[in-house]
Amino acid sequence: MNVREIPSLRSQLAVLAALLILLAASAGLSRLPLGWWGLVISTSIAIGQALLVLVVFMRLKSANPVLRLVAVLSFAWPLILVTLTLGDYLTRSLMHAPW
Amino acid sequence: MNSISADAESLGPGYLVQGGRTLWSWLATHDHKRIAVLYTVAITFFFFLGAVGAALIRLTLLYPDGRLTSAETYNKAFTFHGVVMVWFFLIPSIPSTLGNFLVPLMIGARDMAFPRLNLFSWYLYMIGGLFTVATLLLGGVDTGWTFYTPFSTMFSNSNVILTVIGVFVVGFSSILTGMNLIVTTHTMRAPGMHWYRLPLFIWGMYATSVVMMLATPVLAMTLALVALERLAGVGIFDPALGGDPILFQHFFWFYSHPAVYIMILPAMGVVSELVCCGVRRKVFGYKFMAWSMFAIAFIGFLVWGHHMFVAGQSMYAGIVFSILSFVVAVPSAIKVFNWLATLHKGTIDFHAPMLYALGFVGLFTLGGMTGLFLAAVALDVSLTDTYFVVAHFHYIMVGGSVMAYLGGLHFWWPKITGRLYSEGIAKFAAVLMFVGFNLTFFPQYVLGYMGMPRRYHQYLPQFQDLNVLSSIGAGVLAVSYLLPLFYFAHSLYRGKPAGPNPWRATGLEWTTSSPPPEHNFHTTPVVTGGPYEYRD
Amino acid sequence: MNVPVPEAALQQQFDDPPQQREAAMLGMWSFIATEVLFFGVLFAAYIICRWRFPLPFVEGSAHTDFAMGTAETAILLTSGCLSAIALRQIQLDRARQSAVLLAITAALGAAFLVLHGMEYHDEFEEGLIPGLRYTQAGPGANAMELFFSLYNVITGFHSLHVLIGVVLLLVMAARSWRGAFSSAYHTPIEIAGLYWSLVDIVWIFVYPAMYLVGSAG
Repeated sequence: MNVREIPSLRSQLAVLAALLILLAASAGLSRLPLGWWGLVISTSIAIGQALLVLVVFMRLKSANPVLRLVAVLSFAWPLILVTLTLGDYLTRSLMHAPW
Repeated sequence: MNSISADAESLGPGYLVQGGRTLWSWLATHDHKRIAVLYTVAITFFFFLGAVGAALIRLTLLYPDGRLTSAETYNKAFTFHGVVMVWFFLIPSIPSTLGNFLVPLMIGARDMAFPRLNLFSWYLYMIGGLFTVATLLLGGVDTGWTFYTPFSTMFSNSNVILTVIGVFVVGFSSILTGMNLIVTTHTMRAPGMHWYRLPLFIWGMYATSVVMMLATPVLAMTLALVALERLAGVGIFDPALGGDPILFQHFFWFYSHPAVYIMILPAMGVVSELVCCGVRRKVFGYKFMAWSMFAIAFIGFLVWGHHMFVAGQSMYAGIVFSILSFVVAVPSAIKVFNWLATLHKGTIDFHAPMLYALGFVGLFTLGGMTGLFLAAVALDVSLTDTYFVVAHFHYIMVGGSVMAYLGGLHFWWPKITGRLYSEGIAKFAAVLMFVGFNLTFFPQYVLGYMGMPRRYHQYLPQFQDLNVLSSIGAGVLAVSYLLPLFYFAHSLYRGKPAGPNPWRATGLEWTTSSPPPEHNFHTTPVVTGGPYEYRD
Repeated sequence: MNVPVPEAALQQQFDDPPQQREAAMLGMWSFIATEVLFFGVLFAAYIICRWRFPLPFVEGSAHTDFAMGTAETAILLTSGCLSAIALRQIQLDRARQSAVLLAITAALGAAFLVLHGMEYHDEFEEGLIPGLRYTQAGPGANAMELFFSLYNVITGFHSLHVLIGVVLLLVMAARSWRGAFSSAYHTPIEIAGLYWSLVDIVWIFVYPAMYLVGSAG
C-alpha cells in the first residue's frame, strides 16, 4: 500500500501557473535587445521550469534519496561533456570556417 | 556465516531442467540463469568471430609488403575485429554472463528485478549481432571501430550505417542489463545483506552498470548522428558547413573511454573473488576495494581527451586530460596493492581460476603502467597510433578482462553446470595462454616504440622479426582459447558432479545446489556475516 | 463499490508490493537518466555550434515560428500538469477521472504534434530542412544549415518521444477507465507520468534554444 503523500490540487495548478508565467516572461524578454543577457535569462528560466517539473510534478520532493541522486547525476553528466568539450574549443587558437 | 543449507545437498539438474527441456523453454525463459547461459553461448560465438578478424591481421602482418590482403581488406579486418570484440564480446562478457547468473544468487534473491527486460536484452544483443554478421556478409566496414569523421560520414564506401545500427541496438542491450543489475542490487538483497557485506563482485557489477547507463546513450546518439549525416546529409561534423570532425571524437570518446572501464571493472570484481578463495583470506582493505571501483567509474568519465592529444584539440585541454588520466590510475593502483597485500605471505592454491587471477594482476599492472606513458602528452605525441597503443590496450583487455572472464568461468563452472572440469588440462591452458599472450603482445610494445604505425597492412622491413614473433604468439594464444572449448564440452557430458561448494568458497551462491534450483534458494537466506570469512 | 480494489499483481521475484514498486521507480528513473544523456549529446552539440557561430544561430532562430513554438510549449506544460493531477486522482481512487485526465494529456500531446507538423511543413516550403530541402544562400547559410540540422534532429527525436508518450498515455487511460488501477496499485500511471514529464523537460530546454535565440544587440 502506498503511504505516500497526495499533493493538493492547488499545488499542482499553482506550479502550472508559475510555469506559464515563466514562459510568458521568457517569450517576452526574448523580444527585447538584451544582448547576451537574453541567453542568461532564458536559460535560467528554463532551469527553473525544469526544477519545478522535477520537484513537483515528478515528485522528487518527497522521493527516496536514491532517486534524487539519479536525477542529479543525469543532468550533471551532460554538463561534464559540455564543460570539458567547450573547454577545448575555448582554448584553441582561432579556427576559421573554410569559406 | 554462510553454512550450506540442507537442500543444497540435493542432486539433480536444477534450473537446467526445471522450467522445461525444450528449446522454446530456453528462448522464452525468464530465469536469469538460463539467460546467462544464452548470453554465454552467443558471446562465445562472437569471440571466435572476432578472433577470425585477428587471425587475418596477424597473418597479413607476417609480411612487410602485406601481400596476403589488400589495404581495403585489411582495413575491414581490423574494423571487424574491433567492433565485434568491443561491443559483442568484451562489454557484455562478464556482466551479461557471470553478472546475470551470479548477482541474484550472491545477494540472496530469486531472480533479477526485471526478468522480461533481461530476456529482451538478450534478443537485442542477438539482433545487433545479426546486423554485424550481415555487415560481414555484405562486404564489411572499413572505418575502424572508432568511426572517425569525416571518413565515416562522407568518404567511406562500406557498410557504415548497417554496422552503426547493429552497435546502436546492442547498446540498448547494455543499458537494460545495467538497469537490471542496479535495481536488483538496490532493492532485492536478502535480509542482513548490508552494502558492506556484499561480495566485491557485486560492487564491481554495480559500478559497471552505472557507467553503462550514463555512457551508452551518448554513443547511441553519436552513432545516430553519423548515420543521419551519411543518409540525409544532416551534418554537424561536416567541415564544409563549419562543423568539426573533432566534435565527433569528443562525443565518441566520452562513451568509449568509460567503455573500457565497463570492460575492466567487472574483471576486477571477479579477480577479488578468485584471489580471496585462492589464498583463503578476506581481502585486504575491503572498503577501499569497493569505493575504488566507484572512483575509477567516476574519474573515468573525465579523461576521454587523452585519445585526442594529437587530433587537433587545444593544448590546454590536452594538459587537463593528461593530469586527470594520471589521477585515474590511482584507484586502480590501490586495487593492485590490495590484491598483493591479500596474497602476501598467504598459502596459495594454484588451481586454474587462481592462475587466471594471478595472470590478471600481473598483466593488468603492465598494461596499466603503459597507459601512464601514453597519458604523458609529450610521450603520446610519438607513441600515438603506433603499436605501443595496441599493445597497451590488449594487455588490459586481453591480459586483463579476458583472463578474468575465463578465470570466472572456470571458478563458477561447477555452480553453473553442476559438473567439474578437468583441472590438469585447465591449468595447462591457463599457462599456455599466459605464454602465448605475452609472445603476441610484448613485441608490439617494442614495435610501437620503434615507430611501427597501427592500422597499416604494410610496414618497414626492419619490423618483420618482431611481427613474426607476435603472429606465432597469436597462434599459441589461439590454441589456448580453443582448449577450454574441448574440456568444457567434455565436462558437460562426462564431468564429475560438483556438489554445492567444490572450492569451499564463501558466498551465498555456494550455499545452494550445483546447479541451483529454478528459484535459487529453497528458503530466503539470512545473512549474518561479512563476505570473505575464510577459516582454515 | 463492491468491486475488489486492484492490487499489484505481485511478480514472483519480489517479496512484497512495496519492493516491486520501489524497483519499478528506480528502474524508471535510471531509464530517465539515459534519456537525459541521449538528448544531452544534442544539446552539447548545440552549445558548441552556437558558441562558434552566434550570428547564424540568431538568423536561424528568426526563421522559426515563435508563436507556434510558444503555443507548443504552453500546451506541453499544461499537459504535464494534467498528467500529474491524473496521478493524484488515482491515489484518491477516482479511476475514471484519472482516465479522462490521461486522455486529455494525450490529446494535448497530439495537438503538439499537429502544430509541430505544421511547422515542419512550413520549413520544408521555405527550404530549411537540411538533407531534404535546404535552399538558403548567403554568407551565413552554411552555419545556419548547422542550426537547422540540430533543430530538425532534436525536435525530430523529441517528437518521436511525444508520439510514444501519447500512445502510452492512451493505453493507461483505457486501462484506468476499465478499473485496472486503484489507490493501492497505480505504478504504471506513475511511470507513464514520469515519462511524460521527461518529454516536457526536454522541450523546456528546446524552446529557448531554438525559438528564442536573441535578437542580440
